[in-house]
Amino acid sequence: MAFQSLRDFMDALRRNGQLLTLHDAVLPEPDIRTYLRAAADLGNDSPAVVFDNIRGYRGYTVAGNVHGSWVNHAILLGMDKTAGMREQFSRVDELWSNLDKGELRWVSNAPCQEIVVDININLYELMPLYRINQNDGGCYLSKACVVSRDPNEPDDLNKENVGIYRVMVQGRDTLGMQGLPYHDFARHLKSAEEVNMPLPVAICIGTPPFLTTMAATPLAYNQSEYKAASAIMGEPLEVTSALDSELTVPAHSEYVLEGEVIPRQRFCEGPFGEFPGSYSGVRKQIRIRVNKVTHRRHPIYETLFIGKPWTEHDTMIGLWTSVPLYKQLKAEFPEVKCVNAIYQHGLTIIISSDMRLGGFGKTLAFKVATTPHGMSYGKNIIIVDGDVDPFNLERVMWALSTRVRADKDVTVVTNTPGMPLDPCSEPAGMGSKLIIDATTPVAPDRMREITMIADPPGSAEAAERLQEIWKGAVKA
Amino acid sequence: MICIRCLQDSAEKIAEAPDGSGEWEVYYCERCNYSWRSSEESEITVPDKRDPEFQLEDVNLDALQILNPIPPLKK
Repeated sequence: MAFQSLRDFMDALRRNGQLLTLHDAVLPEPDIRTYLRAAADLGNDSPAVVFDNIRGYRGYTVAGNVHGSWVNHAILLGMDKTAGMREQFSRVDELWSNLDKGELRWVSNAPCQEIVVDININLYELMPLYRINQNDGGCYLSKACVVSRDPNEPDDLNKENVGIYRVMVQGRDTLGMQGLPYHDFARHLKSAEEVNMPLPVAICIGTPPFLTTMAATPLAYNQSEYKAASAIMGEPLEVTSALDSELTVPAHSEYVLEGEVIPRQRFCEGPFGEFPGSYSGVRKQIRIRVNKVTHRRHPIYETLFIGKPWTEHDTMIGLWTSVPLYKQLKAEFPEVKCVNAIYQHGLTIIISSDMRLGGFGKTLAFKVATTPHGMSYGKNIIIVDGDVDPFNLERVMWALSTRVRADKDVTVVTNTPGMPLDPCSEPAGMGSKLIIDATTPVAPDRMREITMIADPPGSAEAAERLQEIWKGAVKA
Repeated sequence: MICIRCLQDSAEKIAEAPDGSGEWEVYYCERCNYSWRSSEESEITVPDKRDPEFQLEDVNLDALQILNPIPPLKK
């Protein structure tokens, strides 16, 4: 499970029958997007897809849908391929302990620096770029880990940030990037822009698979994504120093683009087909000048198709959004059992919890709405009882159908922060919170005298027995 | 050359297929930062066939929203 590189993980997927290579000749557009859309639609066991015959890019390799299914995600977690979402949630929760205890192993002559390009940089020649959605403003790096440090605290490695942001290729050697004000990256940018200094960045593509997930996870500002990835992996993560700066980069990254943000200027960026399934508008965003590109020999260009859900984006970040929210709630309220925030990066959050007292469901909703992630993303917040699995939507709908008193349990808090990419957020960045308390009222609240039907004792064991007989019969 | 999105004379060719096959060329507009490949669908490469919603011909680019504000300079 300690995948030090994308290649290690792709080998594991291949061994498990979860990676296919498309040898058919394809054009960058529209073929790569068409096939990755199709791969996402194959369902819970869809494989990673490798393209090795791209017209105009003969000799280049593109990999997509690597984190794109729950089966691939189970393999990442070292679990049986049949592990369900709730089981995978529990596994992530278990791995998520002692995140600060992770360690880095510094290596020299790192594979990510086997090839160095520092003159006549042309990103269209170095990487097999393609337009992800038809009306995107250009080619985007959709699965790139952006590394930066706070110029005021350059030696504090815990505050070195690794985040996945959308990065737009703008010309041969420049990039546009969206780092929103509540992202950690924006704090580094602000420190640099306040003194009119360029901010060094390293943009890493094809990174170790747990670093990719941690870069997409809402960690605390002073938590290192590198250490967190190492803690999850259970062994030190191999890293090296960038060539033009002190920034840390994954030793086994396929590509590293080294550059700096041009301070105090903004440039036209977008649109980009985003995770809510809609295009974001054209806005003015920062620009990065790329000064150096390093890469492995025969690098793999890893991409993530993002568009109308469900896509790799949703699977990759779903549980890694749910677990930190769960941890933050659980720290204060031990009654909380589980959190499902897999829907559009937590625009909808379902919290399962035992009730301490009447009105407690709303207390939990307020709490999640004040977490760093829930503050902007958390829009629809649903609370269900502790015995309702929030990943079992039939049970969640049962709770909604039989518990919700519209006059008491539905609350709208208006004019709160919103997620700017949510098409409902108007003006972009503003929103409202919908709270639905679908829990059974407890004292001092009350409901009619009703006795709920309990499952017959032993039904779980009976289900196992039936499965045995059934599967045996199928084999026969 | 004319940018197919903002329709200003601010675009140029910036790349050719790196395998030497001549399969396509890439163009880029330094004004609106749009880029396109000659091999893309005609709904992308032919201005008259493009979705008007995504054209920037009459848009004041200087007035676009800035999501990440520029902070005051520290003295």
